[in-house]
Amino acid sequence: MNQTTTLERPRAGAAASLEVSHALTQTLYREARRLDDEDYAGWVAMLADDLHYHMPGIETRYRRDTTDQVTDLTRMAYYNDSLDEIKKRLTRLETGTAWSEDPATRYTHIITNVEVENTDKADEFRVFSNFYAYRNRNERDEDSLIGNRIDIWRETGGAYQLVRRRIILKHNIMLSKNLNIYL
Amino acid sequence: MRMERLGREPEFSRYMDLKEGWLDRRIFSDADIYEEELYRIFARSWLFVAHESQLPRAGDFLTTHMGEDAVIVTRQPDGSIKVYLNSCPHRGNKVCFADAGNTRRFVCNYHGWAFNTAGELQGMHEEYCYDEGDIDRKKNGLRQVARVGSYKGLVFATFAEDGPSLDAWLGDFRWYLDMLLDNEEGGTELIGGCIKSVISANWKFGVENFIGDAYHAGWTHDSGCRSMNNGQPFPPIDMENSYHASVNGHGWEFGTEGVGDLFLLGRPKVMEYYEKMRPKMADRLGTMRSQIFGSVASASIFPNVSFLPGISTFRQWQPKGPMQFELKTWVIVNKAMPDDIKDEVTKGVMQTFGPGGTFEMDDGENWENCTTVNRGVVTRHERLHYRCGIGRQIDHDTLPGIVYRGQYNDANQRGFYQRWLDMMEATDLGAMPPRPEPRLTGIAETRDLPGLFAL
Repeated sequence: MNQTTTLERPRAGAAASLEVSHALTQTLYREARRLDDEDYAGWVAMLADDLHYHMPGIETRYRRDTTDQVTDLTRMAYYNDSLDEIKKRLTRLETGTAWSEDPATRYTHIITNVEVENTDKADEFRVFSNFYAYRNRNERDEDSLIGNRIDIWRETGGAYQLVRRRIILKHNIMLSKNLNIYL
Repeated sequence: MRMERLGREPEFSRYMDLKEGWLDRRIFSDADIYEEELYRIFARSWLFVAHESQLPRAGDFLTTHMGEDAVIVTRQPDGSIKVYLNSCPHRGNKVCFADAGNTRRFVCNYHGWAFNTAGELQGMHEEYCYDEGDIDRKKNGLRQVARVGSYKGLVFATFAEDGPSLDAWLGDFRWYLDMLLDNEEGGTELIGGCIKSVISANWKFGVENFIGDAYHAGWTHDSGCRSMNNGQPFPPIDMENSYHASVNGHGWEFGTEGVGDLFLLGRPKVMEYYEKMRPKMADRLGTMRSQIFGSVASASIFPNVSFLPGISTFRQWQPKGPMQFELKTWVIVNKAMPDDIKDEVTKGVMQTFGPGGTFEMDDGENWENCTTVNRGVVTRHERLHYRCGIGRQIDHDTLPGIVYRGQYNDANQRGFYQRWLDMMEATDLGAMPPRPEPRLTGIAETRDLPGLFAL
């Protein structure tokens, strides 16, 4: 193919140290566990104040089409949120009237293919990962959401905080009635 | 077009009594009724296929569905729009697999039959295999729809050769539509891209929810409203000064307080923008419509488009069998809006009425369960209650349509199912009665309606 797709990810950079890679891989797993457990206070504590959390809607287009479907923030997106906006969404769960969360949805986030790289900033690291998020609720409602993520994590006081996340879901038509989940 | 199934004796009136206010549950899951809907409604209605802003340049195209029929919508070099089946006349394969783009031609992957953007057959791979007389290229283009029309940016198409014009189809509903499509100089556009999701429910549940069901909002969406607005509950409904209006099966339910939907969007900058604009809107559309815009409101265009004026979600419910639809979601904004306001509206819509939106999340589960539970062999023979507000019809000097007082009402839903019944039973679309008799006859612009500025 002489044309690449516009969904290409940044070229790989220099791998981070074993120690940082290990710490960040564990951080991703911890984040996934908190999301599985609906420990949203614990999850928000892992998010930086200047967070940008972005999951663009991806149309099916021909390879020759150069429309920027990933980084153009004016286009339709499932999420295009700051930390305050994420917190605003989460307050829905505290109202006691989020009917479609009671009975609770059962979640499992599986995080794989983790690669950790250095960036231009000494305290920030680029982290590639894949996710498989499985949801099941009520009798037999079930969804599988699968895709890639590219994150920037920042080291602050011995822990890491998520600064940027771009999520590329592999669905064209999201095969689910809603998206009551963070990826 | 020939539709052989229309010869059957229609008996759809037994599925409802709208004067009494009930529906038979079978219309929400029965496979035979669904097949008839595809023939009688989707193959004969004016269906929304695109917004003009999605196809700015010659060669721009998008793919969509009319009922379950796959179609391509393209902008022609002369600026017109053509709509034709996305199906090769040779073996029926799709000739376009992309959601949207720009092209000079569509070539079938199977045998290389090539069509220009007008849908005309231009050539085939290894054409020498066809002897003289084997194929008439002129007769083997992509099958065009019967008619294409547009109203203030919205492009519609129909497979029906005969039947009402688009203007007659929309009728007096144009008076309401202009609040969405023409509230500011320059008209509207859709934000780039489209979010699609699948809901395992009958398509009519989505349409009827938006056409008139203000009633569900304060209960279903209590959590959504509070999350967007610092814990504040739904604004109270004024049953005296809010209405249902139904025209030819389309419907708009609305308050007149001017701010409810803008409040629900949870974006103060957008609220400020419209507040500044409101006097201009009054000059443009009259005081009444400037007071309606931004109020708690929702609307649907028969048969399968819905939107929230003020919140700016714009969507289509595409049928995929009796118990499933695909929901296509866009954001509609005024072209003249500054970029930062467009950005605020887009974020606001996706935080409220995207699949991950705080309102949207609680809708799908209701519709799915309404659909699956109604299918039980005993359950399906129980009637559903559609009688709310059945005695509240009024005549209103300013508001066109069949008007009922009080926004908590099943009136527009009854109007929608009346039109559903009209179309299911009509052999001649031209003989369907207007519901109600139009006021806008002979008036090209709803601004020109006499008495518009009286209130």
